[in-house]
Amino acid sequence: MSFEGKLALVTGSGRGIGKAISLQLASQGADIIVNFFRRREAAEQTARDIESMGVKAEIIRANVGDPAKLDEMFDTIEAKFGHLDILINNAASGVGRSALDIDAKAWDWTMNINARAVLLCAQRAVKLMGEGGKIVNISSLGSAFVWPTYAAVGVSKAALEALTRYLAIELAPKGICVNAVAASAVDTEALKFYIKEGLVKDTRQATPVGRMVTPEDVAKVVAFLCSEEAFMIRGQTIIVDGGTSVAPFVLPEEGGR
Amino acid sequence: MSVEEKVKEIIAKIVHVDKSILTRESTFKDIKADSLDMVQALVAIEDEFDIEIPDEDAQKLQNFGDFIDYVESRVAEKEKS
Repeated sequence: MSFEGKLALVTGSGRGIGKAISLQLASQGADIIVNFFRRREAAEQTARDIESMGVKAEIIRANVGDPAKLDEMFDTIEAKFGHLDILINNAASGVGRSALDIDAKAWDWTMNINARAVLLCAQRAVKLMGEGGKIVNISSLGSAFVWPTYAAVGVSKAALEALTRYLAIELAPKGICVNAVAASAVDTEALKFYIKEGLVKDTRQATPVGRMVTPEDVAKVVAFLCSEEAFMIRGQTIIVDGGTSVAPFVLPEEGGR
Repeated sequence: MSVEEKVKEIIAKIVHVDKSILTRESTFKDIKADSLDMVQALVAIEDEFDIEIPDEDAQKLQNFGDFIDYVESRVAEKEKS
């Protein structure tokens, strides 16, 4: 699967899953627009890693939760490149609170970044995509299952998955494929933060496969969904969890091994 | 309004506290701001002064005094360029 000559925007790609997706697509030949919001040094490192693979990297800072900033990002892409082939809606934020403690501010912040931005980015990206564009939205198992203090994010991810289905059908006649990838707890800085803050239990135990899901595991599935081999997959949310969700009563140490 | 006054006004509004309790020695923790309050305050200050405050820098600032000095220096840098 080669993405040579393709241009991909990966939102929130300074760290974690977004970074892994950027590097995966770059390793297959795509030029990457690295979007970040809070960590410039991390984004610069991602860009250097991308460039070391012999493809181009462009850094654009934007809070995708702010429609004006999101528009500015796309104005820059339009002026500089005039096209876009792949959009990965990965940027996410959230507030670790139980449902009864979520106030309007926390709700709006989470929904605006995790769900509304997916819609607004898709609307702008479609105008820059010819036939054959790909959109992949990053979800989490919190959309369908309950994790403590994950209510706001879980609900936003459910919205993202529903939106993925609507966009997939509306954009099918335009030749644009839209899907989502949902991971269970992935070994990233974000997870470490949640554990440190006492918001989730340390879930870094093994899946039924025998190890945790890595950002690279997620990135490889995203790359597949961006390939022509996945052409007939539309509006789906592919779960990458090492089997955790289909084996809720199997303790990791029992595993399937 | 000075940079210091404007910064205090933005923080007070977002965290819902009285501006007078924001001394140079106090911290976000002292005024019981959570992580969302902090990031929203940073973003509001960035927008107000058209500067960037990356987390890598924000994490090094100990109290509001450091924070105000940092914003002032970024604003001065911007005016020079």
